[in-house]
Amino acid sequence: MAVVADPIARLVKELARLPGIGEKTAQRLAFHILKAGPGYAGDLAAAITGAVSDVRLCSSCQTLTDRDPCPICSDPARDARTICVVEGVPDLVAIERTHEYRGHYHVLHGALSPLDGVGPGDIKVRELMLRLERAPAEEVVLATNPDVEGEATALYLQRLLKPLGIRVTRIAQGVPVGGDLEYADQVTLARALAGRREL
Amino acid sequence: MRILSVDLHDFRNIAQAHLDPSPRATVLVGENGQGKTNLLEAVYFACTLRSLRAARLADLVRFGAGSATVAAEIEGSGGVRRVSVEVAPGLRTAYLDGKPRDRLDEYFEGLAAVCFSPDDLLLVKGSPEYRRRFLDRAAFNRWPAVLAEARDHLRALRSRNAALRSSPPEVEVNFRDRLVWAGARLLRRRRDLLAELAPRVEEAFAQIAGPGAPPARLVYRPAAGMSLEGDEDALAARLAHVIEARTERDREKGYTSAGPHMDDLALEIGGRGARPFASQGQQRALVIALKVAEIENLRSALGRPPLLLLDDVSSELDPQKNRFLLRYLTTLPGQSLLTTTDRHLLEAAAGPETAYYRVEGGTFSATI
Repeated sequence: MAVVADPIARLVKELARLPGIGEKTAQRLAFHILKAGPGYAGDLAAAITGAVSDVRLCSSCQTLTDRDPCPICSDPARDARTICVVEGVPDLVAIERTHEYRGHYHVLHGALSPLDGVGPGDIKVRELMLRLERAPAEEVVLATNPDVEGEATALYLQRLLKPLGIRVTRIAQGVPVGGDLEYADQVTLARALAGRREL
Repeated sequence: MRILSVDLHDFRNIAQAHLDPSPRATVLVGENGQGKTNLLEAVYFACTLRSLRAARLADLVRFGAGSATVAAEIEGSGGVRRVSVEVAPGLRTAYLDGKPRDRLDEYFEGLAAVCFSPDDLLLVKGSPEYRRRFLDRAAFNRWPAVLAEARDHLRALRSRNAALRSSPPEVEVNFRDRLVWAGARLLRRRRDLLAELAPRVEEAFAQIAGPGAPPARLVYRPAAGMSLEGDEDALAARLAHVIEARTERDREKGYTSAGPHMDDLALEIGGRGARPFASQGQQRALVIALKVAEIENLRSALGRPPLLLLDDVSSELDPQKNRFLLRYLTTLPGQSLLTTTDRHLLEAAAGPETAYYRVEGGTFSATI
C-alpha cells in the first residue's frame, strides 16, 4: 500500500516540477492546499488556468499581458521614443519598481547562447526590428544581463541598431548603493576600484 | 590564521581520523597507499573548498559510504570558527559554525594554501597547461576576484567556440568581442602577477643552484608575440587584432586557436629552455624556486605565510636541495603539513613544536 494516496502523490509530483521547489517543499505545499479546503483549491486552479489562457505577448513590446497592447505600451504619459531592451519579464518588473524609467520596453525572452543553441531567431529580435521600422525610436537602452550571453546579445543589437542612426546605450555596472558594499561580488568591487573617480 | 583541529569521516580511504596539527610543522609518516595524501587533500578541500586533484566529488567519498565529511577548526582574527564540508555524489554542502552556506567563500576568506608534490615537476616538464594553471592559481591566491574572472573567461571561450561551429558570423563576432574583453583582463592579471613573481623565482633559483650557476628567467609568451604593455584597453585592442586575424582558420577548426588559454610561460636557465636543455637537478631547483616564490609573494601580500602542504617532496630531491627546502621551511612562521615514507628525510625541518603522526591503512596515530 502506498504511504500517501495517489491523488496527493500526483499533486506533489506536479508541484515538484516547478523551479526552486524540491520534493519536500512540494509535499508541504500539497498538504497545505488540502488543509485549506476546496474553496482555496478551486481559486488556485482557476488562477492557474486563467493566467495561462488569458495571458499572451504584447504585440508591441512582447511582455506578458492580458491586454494588447499592454498597459505600458498604451500609456500616453510614457515616452515611446526610448526603448529599454531586457532579457525577461522579471527584469522589466525590477526596472519598473525604481519609478526612474518612463520609456517603453522590449522583452527578448532570452539571450543569444551558442552553448544552448539559442540564436537570434529564438529570441524577439525580429519583433524589435519590425517595431523600430514602424515607429522609429531615438534611443535604445540595452539592459541585458552582465554575463557572457547578455553582453554578447547587447553587442549584437548594437551592431544591428547603430547603422539605423539610433542612439544605443548600455546600462552601467557598479557597486550596490546603501551601505551594502560587503555584499558586492569580488569582480564588481575589483572593477569599481579600477574605475574610481576623483571627487 | 591557524588550523587547530581536523576531523574526517569517510573521506577516500579514511573511515575516521582526528588530527591536532602543530602551529608549525606536522609530519605524517607512512608507507605509500596508506592515506597520507588523502589527508592533505582533505585539508586543502576544507580550506579552499576546491579539490586538489580535480576529481569528481563522488571520488572523495569512501567506497561503500553515503557521504564524506571534512571539518576543521580554524583560529583567525575573529576567534575560532568551525568550517565543515559534506560531500555526496553530485552534492557539496559547506557549513560555517554549523550553519549551511551556499557560498562559503563570501563569508569566510579561507586560508591561502600552497601545495607541493612530485607532480609539480610537470611545471617544468609538462605541457603549457600546467604553467598556465600555476599562474592562475597563484593569481587567485593573490587577488580573490581572479577566480570569477577566470571562470568568466572560460565561459566566454566555450561560447565563442560553440559560436564558431554553429552560429553565423554576425552572431559569432559578438562572442569574439566578449572573449577578447575577458582575455585582456586575464592577461593583465597574469602580467601583474609575473611582475611580482619573476624576480622572486630568479632570486630563489640563484640561492638553490649556488654561486656561478646560470640564472633562471621567466618569460610570458603571449599569442603572436603581442606586447603586454599598457592598460586593459590596450591589451584588448591587440588581442582583438590577433584573434580576428585567425577567425577564418578558427571557423574551419571549430575552436579559438590563440589567446590566454593557449599562451605559455617559458622557463629558461642560462638563456635556454628549461624543458629540453636543463639537467634533472636544475629542473628540480627551478620547481622549488617557483614554489618558494609563490609562498614568499603570498606572504608579503597577506602579511602571513600561506598554509603549506608538502606531499612526499623530499624523496624526489637530492640531499643538497632537500636541505635547502627544509631550512627554508624552518624560517617560515606558518603552519605546514608534510608527508614522507622516511621520517629521517624531514628531520632537518623538525623543531621542538613538530608533531608526528603515523599513518597505516587509513588510520592516524600521534607519535613522538
